[in-house]
Amino acid sequence: MVTSSLLLSLTTFAYFGSAALYLGGVVFRLKSVLTLGSLVALGTLVIQTAGIVLRWRESYELGYGHAPLSNLYESLVFAAWAIMLLYLIMEYRTKQRTLGVFPALFAFLAMAYASFSTSVDARIQPLLPALKSNWLIAHVITCFLGYAAFAIACGISIVYILRRSAEGSGRPSPILAMMPEPRQLDELNYQLILFGFLWLSLGIITGSVWANSAWGTYWSWDPKETWSLITWLVYAAVLHARTIQGWRGKRVAWLSLLGFGCVLFTYFGVNFLLSGLHSYATK
Amino acid sequence: MEQKTGIWQRMGKALGSLKLTLFVFLVLAVFSIIGTLLPQGMTEHDLHDRFGGGLGQWIVSLGFHDVYRTGWFRAFILLLCLNLIVCSLQRLPKSFKLISREEQSLNREKLVRLSTHVEMTSRLSWADTQSRLTKVLSEQFAPPKVRQTSDSYAAYAVRGKWSPLIVYGVHLSVLLILFGALIGSIFGFKGFMQILEGESSNEVMLTSGRQSITLPFSVRCDRFDVSFYDTGTPKEYRSDLTVLRNGETAHSRSIRVNDPMTFEGITFYQSSYGTVLKLAEVEFYDKGAGITEKLTMNFRKTATIPGTGDRVQVVQYQPEFSRFGPAVGVVLQKHGQPGSTGSWILVDMPDFHGNRIENYQVKVLRTETSQYTGLQVKKDPGVWMVYAGFTLMLIGIGLAYHSSQRKIWVWAGPQGNVQHIVVAGRTNKNSLAFEAEFARLCGRLQESLRD
Repeated sequence: MVTSSLLLSLTTFAYFGSAALYLGGVVFRLKSVLTLGSLVALGTLVIQTAGIVLRWRESYELGYGHAPLSNLYESLVFAAWAIMLLYLIMEYRTKQRTLGVFPALFAFLAMAYASFSTSVDARIQPLLPALKSNWLIAHVITCFLGYAAFAIACGISIVYILRRSAEGSGRPSPILAMMPEPRQLDELNYQLILFGFLWLSLGIITGSVWANSAWGTYWSWDPKETWSLITWLVYAAVLHARTIQGWRGKRVAWLSLLGFGCVLFTYFGVNFLLSGLHSYATK
Repeated sequence: MEQKTGIWQRMGKALGSLKLTLFVFLVLAVFSIIGTLLPQGMTEHDLHDRFGGGLGQWIVSLGFHDVYRTGWFRAFILLLCLNLIVCSLQRLPKSFKLISREEQSLNREKLVRLSTHVEMTSRLSWADTQSRLTKVLSEQFAPPKVRQTSDSYAAYAVRGKWSPLIVYGVHLSVLLILFGALIGSIFGFKGFMQILEGESSNEVMLTSGRQSITLPFSVRCDRFDVSFYDTGTPKEYRSDLTVLRNGETAHSRSIRVNDPMTFEGITFYQSSYGTVLKLAEVEFYDKGAGITEKLTMNFRKTATIPGTGDRVQVVQYQPEFSRFGPAVGVVLQKHGQPGSTGSWILVDMPDFHGNRIENYQVKVLRTETSQYTGLQVKKDPGVWMVYAGFTLMLIGIGLAYHSSQRKIWVWAGPQGNVQHIVVAGRTNKNSLAFEAEFARLCGRLQESLRD
């Protein structure tokens, strides 16, 4: 009997395989290995999609009946899914396979944390009254598409910074030379940040409208809300610095890393260090 | 006089600068971080206990225990609005120029100075060359505006013409949201109601301050219900509410979490629930004096034990007291003695040795409880404006992601029996994608001019 947990554990290992193949392809400069990495990533995404759909069905069989977006485990799985979906679309559109290492690695880490951490409960749980709303689906999907875009932008920024530092040291590494031109990396970074900014805005707004329909306040300065606003401000600053001040390259790349740091804190830090309305996201 | 305008100009420039924006962003972020790290809404007393007198006093005077409501924080939000308005007004004329400018005096020298340009030649006739240039531009890019003289051809085409204005829409949306929030905080209120099952109320305790307001109608809770999953976690809270005006039913509806009721602009949300004690039948037994008295006591109403002058009151009720079942808190004031003593009396364990106060063994014979529903009550006349801002913001950022202003200029002139052509382009963003588009367009132009 195929269960969602079987498919999702398979996904964890397969993303690791994909990340390893991407890395191997870049290190040994083998196009065929990179192609294999893409194929594994695509296959894994299909398996993971099936796993998520199956989990959804299983929740109905248990009598709870809700979309698999309700707790930390399910959100981590969805985060990995969103990162790989966005990355594969980007790969298809830019015809660049060399940037796959970080997205696949992030997806693997999210899945591994969800599966192996003892503090993450993988069981399907009933939905709390506060979460019983169609806004839940809209809110979680939009937020995580934003986070996924920022994660990929973070990976690209790391590549950009490495590449520039290698060039600066006068020993351009052949591995990095296989990666896209710095200008293209910079442009991709910007596109992803703008894309992520759109989805983050949507995520904050759907959350806000939901809060207003459930509690009567569209903004209550709950730590999660506040940190998502800080994240939003950081990325807004990146976009302004780039268009108005003409910032490019390294500075934007570092800001992109800072922004992703805020994303991680909004996602994990707030859950574990600060308490608030989003307390159901910790288990 | 000249000095003065200088100061004003410099102030205007500073107010509209990106540096100020980034500075305000940073300050708001730092304030917000403090607000998330330090629990908000602590009283001065709590702060004193937790951080000591010195630090606690500092926190209070800087308002860090209630960051988002301090004058500091609001002043910076106001500064952000001002910055947004000034910078938008300063940049707007430039953007309009970017939209309306079409480079009237287009010539070869100007175009070759642009970084994105290509020169090509054609052996077709002069007339043929011109018509084909126009045709390809219309089909592959956008219908151009063409100016022809006997020995020159100049075409200008633009896509995403209005794209530079999108950012003002986004700026306006931020102002709308903040203005809507301001209207809500001035003309609206937020509060809380506790209504016993079967009873009605028109008093709303406000969240901020210790005031309450009276609604022009009252709300009755006909029934409160909570259901649980098999695992014991709550599944649903529901209150059946009836709105009464002058004693008559005006509206009736069930509310759940995520499913509130709105009546005349005031919205009621299911927020909490609980059990309260209405009355308790209590036996007081004094072994020494040989007194056994049964009293029926209303919650928080003083009663006197007959023949003693000792006054008793039920002041608290807990439906579950540390897993010992329900308990009532009883306070006794001995006749002729200052002060009073009290104790929790366990209802389900009448023989528990702790069920005594002073000289009395206390037994609760019967309790009558009632459930109450806790409702969050809100009126916010600014919310539609906030939502309008949300919508505008999403449209704006969505359009900004999808569109850019791209301009293409083509100049051509005959040189002997060969026609000389320059194609140039410019974009306001995403230059890499534009370069690809530009190269594709030039390829098409070259192709059509070949035969």
